[in-house]
Amino acid sequence: MNSVFDSRILNLVVWSPAVFALLVMFLPKGEKGQIRTATLVGMLLNGAFAALSFHRFHTPVPEFQQEYLAAWLPEIGLSYHLGIDGIAATLVLMTGVLGPLVVMASWRFIDERVKEFHLALLVLQTAMMGALCSLDLLLFYVFFEAMLVPMYFLIGVWGSEERQMASMKFFLYTLVGSLLMLVALLGVYFIANPAGQRTFDYAGIYNGLLAASHEVSACVKNGNENCVLGASGVALLRYGPWFFAAFALAFAIKVPMFPVHTWLPDAHTQAPVAGSMILAAVMLKMGTFGFWRFALPLFPAAGQRFQTVVSSLAVVGIVYGALMCLAQRDIKRLIAYSSVSHLGYCMLGMMSFTPEGASGAAYQMLNHGVSTGALFLLFGMLYERRHVRLMSDYGGLAKVMPLYTAFFLIITFSSVAVPGTNGFVGEFLVLLGSFKSTLPLGLSVAATTAVVLGAAYMLWMVQKVFFGPITRPENAALKDIGLRELATALPFIALVFVMGLRPQPLLDVINASSERFVTRSTYTTDTANAAVRMAVLQLPPAAVPGAVPARPTITAAPPNINPGVVDRLRNLRAPGSMPTVRLPGNAVMMPAPQGTAP
Amino acid sequence: MTPVFTSSDFMPVLPAGILVVAAIVLMLSEAFLAANIASRAYQSVLAVGASLLAGAVALYNMDLPSGPVLQGFAVQDPFSSFLTVTVCVGLVLASLFTAGFLQHRNAERGEFYALVLFAGAGMSLLALSAEFITLFINLEVLSVATYALTAFLRRGTRFSEAGFKYFILGAFAAALTLYGAALLYGATGTTKFIEMAGPLKEAMQTRPGLVIAGFGLVLAGFAFKVAAVPFHMWTPDVYEGAPTPVTALMSAGVKAAAFAAMIRVFVLLSPAIDPQIPFVAFSMLAALTMVGGNLLALPQRNVKRMLAYSSIAHAGYLLVGVAALFAPTPDGTARVGLLTSTPLTGISAAMQNDAFRGILFYLLGYTVTAVGAFGCIAAVERREDETRGNAWDLDRFAGLAQRKPVWAAAMAAFMLSLGGIPPTVGFVGKLLLFRSAVDAGLLGLAVVGMLASAAGAYYYLRVVVYMYMRPSPEGALVTERRWTTELALSLSALATVGLGILPGPIAELLSRADLLFRR
Repeated sequence: MNSVFDSRILNLVVWSPAVFALLVMFLPKGEKGQIRTATLVGMLLNGAFAALSFHRFHTPVPEFQQEYLAAWLPEIGLSYHLGIDGIAATLVLMTGVLGPLVVMASWRFIDERVKEFHLALLVLQTAMMGALCSLDLLLFYVFFEAMLVPMYFLIGVWGSEERQMASMKFFLYTLVGSLLMLVALLGVYFIANPAGQRTFDYAGIYNGLLAASHEVSACVKNGNENCVLGASGVALLRYGPWFFAAFALAFAIKVPMFPVHTWLPDAHTQAPVAGSMILAAVMLKMGTFGFWRFALPLFPAAGQRFQTVVSSLAVVGIVYGALMCLAQRDIKRLIAYSSVSHLGYCMLGMMSFTPEGASGAAYQMLNHGVSTGALFLLFGMLYERRHVRLMSDYGGLAKVMPLYTAFFLIITFSSVAVPGTNGFVGEFLVLLGSFKSTLPLGLSVAATTAVVLGAAYMLWMVQKVFFGPITRPENAALKDIGLRELATALPFIALVFVMGLRPQPLLDVINASSERFVTRSTYTTDTANAAVRMAVLQLPPAAVPGAVPARPTITAAPPNINPGVVDRLRNLRAPGSMPTVRLPGNAVMMPAPQGTAP
Repeated sequence: MTPVFTSSDFMPVLPAGILVVAAIVLMLSEAFLAANIASRAYQSVLAVGASLLAGAVALYNMDLPSGPVLQGFAVQDPFSSFLTVTVCVGLVLASLFTAGFLQHRNAERGEFYALVLFAGAGMSLLALSAEFITLFINLEVLSVATYALTAFLRRGTRFSEAGFKYFILGAFAAALTLYGAALLYGATGTTKFIEMAGPLKEAMQTRPGLVIAGFGLVLAGFAFKVAAVPFHMWTPDVYEGAPTPVTALMSAGVKAAAFAAMIRVFVLLSPAIDPQIPFVAFSMLAALTMVGGNLLALPQRNVKRMLAYSSIAHAGYLLVGVAALFAPTPDGTARVGLLTSTPLTGISAAMQNDAFRGILFYLLGYTVTAVGAFGCIAAVERREDETRGNAWDLDRFAGLAQRKPVWAAAMAAFMLSLGGIPPTVGFVGKLLLFRSAVDAGLLGLAVVGMLASAAGAYYYLRVVVYMYMRPSPEGALVTERRWTTELALSLSALATVGLGILPGPIAELLSRADLLFRR
């Protein structure tokens, strides 16, 4: 069980695509087949590693597992720290499954600059996996930003007519948010721990903020009277809401939530099939995942305070997205707006701060990846044949492409959350959670009615495209789905039913984490509670430069050297937390626990 | 007191000495050898070798004990040594780019490298200077060499115009510095920084106007050299007009040396005066420079001019780090020299040391990135276009990814690094710099800087758009270059990405307690 492998597997998950990217880089430019095959093999391997990591994930344990820690820039407390909890495990699995499908979907469609295209795909896969697995705030930020560059190229080089505008808009929109987040991140870093113990480590910052968050929560609850605040508490009370706003803005842009969603329709519409699929299935999840992992647990007081505001924006997004869908003539734009609507449900579930809502939100993230990813894939097949995007250019396709139509219908049902498909489970849990929560009833009711709108716009689109008479002669000779396309689409169809009929295995993985998420985002008392405090992984002392005997004075009284997580976390270990085992070299592994959660 | 030159005085000035000796050898060889030698390749090799050697010595000097040398006219500390290393890195890369550039223009002359090396010696000594006359002389050594380099290619009016403009404005700035120094001398009776602090404090009581005016003039002179808004007017014209490798040297080396001297003057002397004054001055300069530089760069289609404005913007980011050195403590109590325990500012010595580290790392990162970017421009431009003024238009970069994939990839890395996108050295530099700013409580300035750099991303990305997303124009030819150009491009691109992913070695080099010597 506790093999060396367990502490290394996330490295394989993150870096295996990058290794294949190096390989592809040395393949000759003209050998398109070789490049495609190498990329596919790389992605398959990556998917296998992701599946293995998921398989070795211990379900009842809510805390981070498969952790790997190494020094990166110890002078400022920056470490290379990977690890996954339940939600990250499921998202890693989805990203891994999606990788090979994306390559297969673009097998024919991309015929120019094939090498660069596949390089971008592989690098993007590494960046996405890295962002999902990072347990160091700055490491996350680096991957989060690094994701932008390959996606920017995917949209800008291989997109349709307006691609340059769309890619620039995508890049700048996201960059503004994340740069402000960087300032907030630095602010949190200084507030959380005193000089000499500063660290960017997630658990280190979270635990450091714990006491201050508790004071601030109590203070806000008492109407700012009888406040007892420490130095960190004062700073957190003053800057906390601003920092939360900066984190929330960065992630809300990525989700995208209502007022900052305008980059998404352009990016989706102009991106090539592969770009749209990745964007919908994984990159948008970075927004919701960011809320889940960073914005809400780090600033529980501010999160509570802005609960109504954020969930109202989520509901506005749900309704507004659905209404915009009704007004679209361009199919890709319609699917893009449906993303705004669907991710509104994710945000609503999360902001309900109930275990049901949070689990539903996490499940909805996966659902949206499957259903919207598949919609973009299927539409991509059509686009490959006809190179038009308007609904009025199609019609009556059911007669010439029966199999394709069947697939499209199944995915449509999943998207409108018909019982028996995956979409139903997620949406139901989200609505359940929001009704049970303290949120105003009106919000939940509005969100529920929008489910009807969702069915309306999807079915209306299906009717226009697939049924009725064939109005265009070009459509009469369309070929039905081919073997490669079948192989690409079938996994999605299977996932729709598996996730719809047997949600329990995935929900088991998610549930423990979502309970932790709710505890950590809403706690008001009991800072010593093990469920609130995080277990922290330590670097072996030898791995910290500055602690080497060559410069003994520095270790004695560190004026500017940050011993990182070493000393402080010795005192901060959660009661009953798992023991850490030192391995030779820089790495530390956390053994998989034997059943009992701390 | 008889002047003595001891061995401890020798090592700190050795890097500059190596550069000067190499420069003299180059000039003599031009007189005695060059007529007989068909190829002048040895010149660039000699320049690169001398710079490497000087850099290695400076790296060794990092571990020398800090303290005044040359009877207090200079100061040896890790700060000055690391700055010399940075300068030498810039010299090596710029010399490599120069080889192909000059060959292409049939202008290979030993004087060029000699002037480059003289300028480098001036930069290195400027970082050491701890006395106003020494500082002024080194400033002039470096400036006069760069004036001459700017006008080196005497073909056409463009170069002479740039050289003349640079000379007039540079002389004006130098005069400001000198006048300010004279006022401070008048107030204190000494020109050595370490002897000045005490008398300055007295003078501040009796003749505050004289002291403030002196500091103001010194600051204005430095602001000209580092091209801070509103003293930036000369920058775009001069940067555009100068031969591209010289522009690279100006944007990296000259700026780094001027920053070093400015920091030393103000950190050593400002405890004597009201602490708020340098803080407010540097904060305002920083905000203006970041916003101004980025906004002015936005409409540029001329890549070289765009990078000139971008270098202004980067001076602004550095000024944020400088402002952090003088920040008041977060709770608003005034700081500095008034409290004997913290000799300098409200922020603690450790925090100040962090800021020095950020500034030094940023300067090194900016040097490899900017020299690489200008080098790439030098490689793409054609001699025939120079007089027409469209040699550096964005269109020259259109489709570069298909014509020269390696160059395009390198240029893309430089642009991302200048924009501060990870995983490049520009990001790490910005992180360290803004970390100090946030630590000092300058949240507002940090937010302004981040928004300004988001605007900056637009014009950096536009270059990438042209390289990767626009077709090559008809008849766009890339002239064949020497291997030195390829080498320099690869080196700087590797450093840009490599130091972005693994900044550890440099950070460790800078992780010592007292980077800047104080009494």
